[in-house]
Amino acid sequence: MNGAVVEARNLTKRYRDVLALDDVSIRLSADRIYGLLGRNGAGKTTLMSVLTAQAFATSGDALVFGEEAYENDRVLSRVCFIRESQKYPDDFTAFHAFKAARLLFRNWDQAFAERLIGDFGLPVKRRIKKLSRGQLSAVGVIIGLASRAELTFFDEPYLGLDAVARQLFYDRLLEDFTDSPRTVVLSSHLIDEVANLLDHVIVIDQGRILIDAESDALRGSAATVVGPAPKVNEFVTGMKVLHREALGPLASVTVDETLSAAQRTGAARLGLEVAPVSLQQLVIRKTLINHPSRRVPGGDAELDSMEATR
Amino acid sequence: MIDDSRPIFLQIAGLIENEIVDGTLAEETQIPSTNEFAAFHRINPATAAKGVNVLVEDGILYKKRGIGMFVSTGARAALVARRTQEFFEQYVRPLVAEARKLGIPADELSRMIIRGADGAPAEGGNRERSAAS
Amino acid sequence: MSRTLAVARMQLVTKWTYLGNPLVILAAAFLLSVAIFALIPADEPKYGGGSQAPLWYFMVLGIQSMTLAFPFSQGLSVSRRAFYLGTLGLFSVLAVAMTAIYLLGGIAERATNGWGVNGFFFAIPWVSDGPWYGTAVFYFTVMMLMFIIGFWFATIYKRWGTTGMLISLIGSAVLLLGFAALATLSLWWGSIGAWLVQQTPLTMGAWAAVLCVALAVGSYLTLRRATP
Repeated sequence: MNGAVVEARNLTKRYRDVLALDDVSIRLSADRIYGLLGRNGAGKTTLMSVLTAQAFATSGDALVFGEEAYENDRVLSRVCFIRESQKYPDDFTAFHAFKAARLLFRNWDQAFAERLIGDFGLPVKRRIKKLSRGQLSAVGVIIGLASRAELTFFDEPYLGLDAVARQLFYDRLLEDFTDSPRTVVLSSHLIDEVANLLDHVIVIDQGRILIDAESDALRGSAATVVGPAPKVNEFVTGMKVLHREALGPLASVTVDETLSAAQRTGAARLGLEVAPVSLQQLVIRKTLINHPSRRVPGGDAELDSMEATR
Repeated sequence: MIDDSRPIFLQIAGLIENEIVDGTLAEETQIPSTNEFAAFHRINPATAAKGVNVLVEDGILYKKRGIGMFVSTGARAALVARRTQEFFEQYVRPLVAEARKLGIPADELSRMIIRGADGAPAEGGNRERSAAS
Repeated sequence: MSRTLAVARMQLVTKWTYLGNPLVILAAAFLLSVAIFALIPADEPKYGGGSQAPLWYFMVLGIQSMTLAFPFSQGLSVSRRAFYLGTLGLFSVLAVAMTAIYLLGGIAERATNGWGVNGFFFAIPWVSDGPWYGTAVFYFTVMMLMFIIGFWFATIYKRWGTTGMLISLIGSAVLLLGFAALATLSLWWGSIGAWLVQQTPLTMGAWAAVLCVALAVGSYLTLRRATP
């Protein structure tokens, strides 16, 4: 359908003893919203840094808008990468940062930036280094949105933002995306929050691409079957099991299968309940099954608790 | 609203179908734009468009160039016919399965259905018992 | 080209860093020097080294442009080349402006007989002896050198971290000490002294320019592979 905005082939990035990217090949199409999901240290930031020529791959190559991005102002001027840990000059206020951004992003929309400043209640005259973590994130979010770059990367843009501010970000992103379509890559841990926005999901784990699929293809691609253990086991025979839990005589098994109407009817006949698996759950299950030695008990909190121990 | 059970575009198609079936969207009226669907449900506009296109392919909606999407004449009847077919598998089977689990005999089940159809409340004793368990 | 210019303008977004601070430092050093000159009751001309104060700030500017402005410019999708040219270009303009201030200050100083207190801040001996363009070249290249030294060390730091910077600092010290030792052993100091005496501000400026170019080329090659 759309032309490739990013075409990365066999990207590998090796730090001294860590393989940050391991033979990563991805293709991003124009005017879509991508979710780049994975645990901390999975390689998300490294991948985005390599694609924007801020870091260098050990091997492999990446084309952005059909060209190498490295030292290529023609390509770079169409790209915006909002880092989670972006540094600003010491004496800069948010006002200065926006003024600078306006000089360098050719599609910059000042009116939109001002509206966002109001939305987030950002104190633009305060020095950036005195801002709270949430306000710092808001500076990045505003630059990322108002720059209207054809290819925009947001690296965990929500850190420190409260639920209301995050919703505001998602709403403005969607709204502006509708009016001026572009390619957006959203790296996130808060998968449930962004799931509905995404056209496409890329899950990276230990430097490798684990899932690269349309979000609609993932939705409903797994299911959790709950009921008496023998009946559940009978039902899931021959299916790919992602996770298994037991509670007394009850079993809850998550299978990596799209259940057909007939299968659902069959489950109902056996008295089994079939529950949907959220994208976040699916990512957690597939990530954990990727390295079973590190299996951690629990549910939703896993990705977040991993983050807390960083 | 949107849940995780199946692709969002199918859920959007389903929501529009519901509104056609219950008459909220009358035949030959214009439906909201995909961007309005996207903003309302906080979903990607491409996904909303895909949902609408499913209904266009089924002949439930049709496109007036430059204006928007409209509900086809006969759309409601077609949907009702299809949903009636699906009704048994989707609603009656799980109902019967649950009734069996609770030990409700078939004749009592049909009496309950008739009572439900008449709009009478459920028996108070039953409700309390199930709430306490 | 437009992005190179944008990089320069980006760093001028806060007026203080490149314009306000150097002028404030210069003005403070100047006023303090003149006040001290006025307090010294000697009749012969008095000279002060206060005019070097802004030079140290230029080294700080060189470091900051690499440690802070560079990562920020990367965040605004600026290529390393555009950042380098824009930053060095901006600094050259600043150095030209400051050189002009020093020259004009020197002229005013002589015309007012050392601000009426016989004190000289800009027109200091040796530097201001000889033709004006010699003085100009000297001031300009020394300012550039200070900036580029700061920039160069910060580039090493960004590329190779603390270890890299320590190695290059220690390496530079070892080179200098090694040269001094060699000079002592080979009894070169006499000829070095004689050579130094022969130097004018113009020729010293030229030597500084050679060093500037070497460090600038080194910085660029290091920066090419630096990450924010």
